[in-house]
Amino acid sequence: MKKKHEIAIILGITCILLTFSIMVQLRTTNNLISIAGNTYRENDLRDEVLRWKEKYDVIYEQLQLSEKQLEEERKVSTSSDDSSLEKQEELKRINTYLGLTDVQGEGMIITLYDNTPSTFSTSNDLIHDDDLRRIVNELKNNGVEAISINGERIVPSTTITCAGTVILVNGEIIGSPFVIKAIGDQSRINNIMRPGGYIYMLQEQYGFNNIEAKKSDHLVIEKFNGALTNRYIKNVK
Amino acid sequence: MCWFYTNINKKMKKGKGTMTITIGLVCFVLTYIIFMQFKTVEETNITLIETMREAELTESLASWKERYNATEEKLLQNNETLIEYRQKRASNQEATELLNKELLQAQTIAGLTDVTGDGVVITFYDKSEENKVKDRELLELINELKYAGAEAISINDQRIVNMTNIMNIWIGGEDDNESYKEDFYILIDNSKRITSPYVIKAIGDPKTLESTLTAKISGFISRYSNATLKVQNNIVIPKYNGEENFKLRYAQEVTKGEEK
Repeated sequence: MKKKHEIAIILGITCILLTFSIMVQLRTTNNLISIAGNTYRENDLRDEVLRWKEKYDVIYEQLQLSEKQLEEERKVSTSSDDSSLEKQEELKRINTYLGLTDVQGEGMIITLYDNTPSTFSTSNDLIHDDDLRRIVNELKNNGVEAISINGERIVPSTTITCAGTVILVNGEIIGSPFVIKAIGDQSRINNIMRPGGYIYMLQEQYGFNNIEAKKSDHLVIEKFNGALTNRYIKNVK
Repeated sequence: MCWFYTNINKKMKKGKGTMTITIGLVCFVLTYIIFMQFKTVEETNITLIETMREAELTESLASWKERYNATEEKLLQNNETLIEYRQKRASNQEATELLNKELLQAQTIAGLTDVTGDGVVITFYDKSEENKVKDRELLELINELKYAGAEAISINDQRIVNMTNIMNIWIGGEDDNESYKEDFYILIDNSKRITSPYVIKAIGDPKTLESTLTAKISGFISRYSNATLKVQNNIVIPKYNGEENFKLRYAQEVTKGEEK
């Protein structure tokens, strides 16, 4: 009889343990419900992002049209002024520098891939915003004149940030492969592949073996499809 | 666990066989349920990414709105300028002044003029001889300032322009080793040497700049104990010093009609 009691107690404890773990699990699942609620909000957000994107496309189209008209008008209106031609050229040059025109020239295309995800993959297998910033910085250090990442032109207002698991350049979501185009002196750009450089470090220390660098004699980099503003800065008189 | 108890049960009298089987079954069912639950929990990791997606969407939405606003502003400006040009032409007036105005605006945005406005001043200094401020931290700060809408930025009075680069320099060779004790400084645009303390000035909307940089956890000031921020009015940021960054030797504008 004594043995029977023992078994009863053991079974009782086991049942309590099992019930307890089920309760714990159920509580976790309860959280799922609130997450499901989030997906509704997500859909709303997704719709709104799309709406703004469409709105943006429309207004950007108008902006491009106005730029063209303005350029024509500028030419005609200032035709009587000898120095105006020079000034118009200067305006174009600055706009090119700012990334507001399509440009072409010799340069290099660097392609970086995230390491293939596996069960053991960590954030170390992904290219981060910081990596892109440092590569762009090294390109600038080697005298490049125009840069784009996955088609997004680097302009003065450009930010390279991360949100959750994606990277945003100029607010546009981009992902692997990261295609960085740079126009400049090819022999100087090649410097960024040197031992000791940041790309070398990515390869050697972090095991990113999928990095390609390809020279190109005729590279086209598209302009920034947006506008630069000066709302807050005023010229010192 | 259950296997162990059923084994004990087996040692008992034969009449208890049914009970053993029942208990074994119950154990099996319970274990199965727990495993099912575990599976669900594993899936919550995926839904965690779902919630991250919401953060991404919020971010994306904010940037599209900002991009829209900037474009709208520029469009209105263009239309105004266009009208002014036309009026001048209609009244046979000289339009050179208008062109000068346009040129000045482009130069202002590019960093070719001294500018003033409200914003923030950040002081960022080396923690110690061994733990100095590095180029990547300054890059991160500039990125965050731009994210908060800064229109002009300088570090130790060196204007940051589109093609500005910031590099660590160790005397005796480059090395990303934190404990390297030789002479160290930071070089801006391959020629301007700066050292700690770094005074970073940024002109923009002071409220947005301050709230973004001091945001808990994510803000730069919250992440770096060796950085302080001060909101300031009428900050003056000097123009870019030199010409090197504004030379275009390789990049040519793609003219209309030309094949891409």
